[in-house]
Amino acid sequence: MNWDDDSILRWLEPFGGREGDLVEVFGEALTETCLEWRDGEIREARVRREQGTSARWRRGRSEQFASVAGADEAAVREAVRALRASAGREPLPIRSARGAPAAETEVGFPAAERTARRLAAILARHAPRHVFTLRLRQTERRVVAAGRPASTATRRLLSLEGRFTAASRAGDEQRLFAFHAPMSDEALEELKTALADAAAPRDRAVPVPAGEADAILAGGCAAVLFHEILGHPLEADAGVSPLRALPEARVAVADLEVIDDARRLDLFGGYERDDEGTAPRPVKLVASGLVGSQLTDRAHAAAAGSTGHGRRSGPAEPPLPRGANVVVSGGATDPEEMLRRLGNGIWIDEFLGGSVEIASGSFRLRFPRARRVRRGRFADELGPGVLAGELLPTLEAVEPALGREVRAYRGLGWCARAGQVVPVGGAAPDLMIRRLGVRPEL
Amino acid sequence: MTGDDLGALLSRRCPEQWELYRKTAETREIDATPELERAAWRREEGWAARWWEGGAPRFAAASDADGLALALPEAARLPVAADEPPAWPVKKATLAGAASVEAPPALFEELLRAVAAASRGEAVLAGLTLRRGRAEERIVNAAGLDVAQEHHVFDGVARCVARRPGRAREVRVPFRWDSGPETETLARRLADAATLPLSDRPTPFSSGQWLLDPAVGAALLAAIAPLFLDARPPRWVVREKLAGPAVSIADDASRDAAFDGEGVASRRMLLVEHGALSGRLHDLSSARRAGATSTGHGVRPSFRLPPQLGPRRLFFESGSPTPSAALLSGVTKGLFASALTAPLRVDLQADRYEAEFTGVSIVGGRAQGPVAGARARGRVSELLRRIAALSTDLQFFPAPFLAGSPTVYVERASFD
Repeated sequence: MNWDDDSILRWLEPFGGREGDLVEVFGEALTETCLEWRDGEIREARVRREQGTSARWRRGRSEQFASVAGADEAAVREAVRALRASAGREPLPIRSARGAPAAETEVGFPAAERTARRLAAILARHAPRHVFTLRLRQTERRVVAAGRPASTATRRLLSLEGRFTAASRAGDEQRLFAFHAPMSDEALEELKTALADAAAPRDRAVPVPAGEADAILAGGCAAVLFHEILGHPLEADAGVSPLRALPEARVAVADLEVIDDARRLDLFGGYERDDEGTAPRPVKLVASGLVGSQLTDRAHAAAAGSTGHGRRSGPAEPPLPRGANVVVSGGATDPEEMLRRLGNGIWIDEFLGGSVEIASGSFRLRFPRARRVRRGRFADELGPGVLAGELLPTLEAVEPALGREVRAYRGLGWCARAGQVVPVGGAAPDLMIRRLGVRPEL
Repeated sequence: MTGDDLGALLSRRCPEQWELYRKTAETREIDATPELERAAWRREEGWAARWWEGGAPRFAAASDADGLALALPEAARLPVAADEPPAWPVKKATLAGAASVEAPPALFEELLRAVAAASRGEAVLAGLTLRRGRAEERIVNAAGLDVAQEHHVFDGVARCVARRPGRAREVRVPFRWDSGPETETLARRLADAATLPLSDRPTPFSSGQWLLDPAVGAALLAAIAPLFLDARPPRWVVREKLAGPAVSIADDASRDAAFDGEGVASRRMLLVEHGALSGRLHDLSSARRAGATSTGHGVRPSFRLPPQLGPRRLFFESGSPTPSAALLSGVTKGLFASALTAPLRVDLQADRYEAEFTGVSIVGGRAQGPVAGARARGRVSELLRRIAALSTDLQFFPAPFLAGSPTVYVERASFD
């Protein structure tokens, strides 16, 4: 996006003036390659090149927003012109674009063909029968805002989701698999390892018994739990939740430290600038067991300013305060010790998705499989189920024994709220929670 | 770069096997909460091409014609498995001049009052997003198709929170209005969905009759829609006895748009007639594989995706509908499912379903009191065959395609 920032700021001048006003222009150039794989072949390839621009003006409780297709100077002019019209400001004259033409971004996703070849080899070896969607996305986002330096941020993401046929000791079975990571050669190596683990032979699963169970959340998947029960309720526009009523109250053991850290660029939700141009800072969601701070954008920022969590799914949407990467600090307990402490319960290392109802704090997480633990040892393979509970009792039930190793959880990828889907990530150690509600799924 | 230039580019790549799609849309939206009022205007433009090159299907999309021209060679380079192209439709239809889009009305205060009244002050409207828009589509292909059409939309999402001491419930209800604002109906739906789960009462029955609100019936219909798409239905399907004899199911989007996303004329398809599976939906690709013709169900939820087989306006219908009051009076012991409290889970292959809902218990045709939460589960096959009657109050819901249902009467279900 080859914008003349000074001109844009001049066009935005009629909106400025009052303290607390927000006025900005946001642009995005997106390139995405999607490959639909089935049993070793690409059945469909989709390439998408999209550009969009939006302009926003917020004063008090009133906001005007305009978005248009395109991200060249003419598009910026059109967006600002629409914003001026809706705000009753003097119209921006219609002129043809001038200055240097928009620079062409590289055609397609630069690594698509190479990634497709490598993925073909990985799938052939570990999961030859499959249905997968591979998405390679590159975004360049630019923000020009009154009173702030302009910013540009670029991200390249790899996302693989689908199912494959794996061997179990009772015969073939369908397994779901998802892997989301920033694009890099290391990510493909990590994908290979994750897929090999997911395809390992397993015993025949028996249904999860319904009732309450103590559980170990392993393999980093505890990040999904905290994304739901801490991340969403602490988004600044979330409304009243059980956490909001307890600022700085003790809600968990002192060993529990959970932050949202968008600066972790090795995780799927990381970025250097948010979609309002703010450099993100880590936010403590739970600090030493106490309720921490909110995730804010500019519109919801306190005196300290935005925490850099103003995010949007694309240029056609206004920013919302959204979580990025939930990271749980590690402890000192090794996996064997944790199993011993659990005694009897279930061990889960994968979630397919989750949801939380903010007002009541009730949540549910779907898992595709689990292991029963009896007297500190792995027992039966368990089938798919649902973990459900309430936010505060669940936080209180987190045991102080936290695992030593903090693992990135690559199953956490796309988060939808208010119709906007943004990439999110997380990392967590193994963690034990007492008395969670469990029931089998269909 | 123009549409004609893109057509020429595609013709050079594959002279007889291409399709070009263009969409322009304008929407106006009002998003209101107690803290914020946002007015948004959006102009969207999208281009998409689908073509067969080297015997393999390709797809590219972009927000302008120049971007699409750049995406074509990139998509052509990827190693895609060969597949047969469809039989392209041929038709011509032009579009009259377009009007601009009006802003949606400001209804937050009106709905706020209506929700408060419907819930006796227990529920509060937390947010209302209303959107009014118009989209114009043009589809051309190598066979000579050149059709244009427009769509109008007036829809939104409402959020509501209900509280009692120690308990709270938040609900989010998407809706679509075909004729004009229906705030009273929406307010009742919001109030019921938010306040009923706050009651203390679990389900008093382990089995009985089951009445489904139109919103719940529409969710059920949307969940079983794959039955009308698959070449091979699940093993449990008995074509002559898919559902109770009172049930017919049709798809007819002709009132929404003259064509589907591939330029095939919209038409009514009767899929279930008096309980018997009688039809199947096709897009161009599935029609080619089945040796049939497209039924006009190539759906484009966005210009970013190639057309896919799907329902467009799917709904229950009955030759002899029963008024809702008569359905209610026919319940000797059962539950009325007012709203789902979790997404309906249906596994068509395994013939299983599970519905978590909130509602009202009914004995002798009279409402006894709220039921905070209940779960009905069992076999899809049995559920469909036990639908004994449909009411007259057909309503449509975005699901994401339009699914329409009246109140549904199921003669027996198990609850826990």
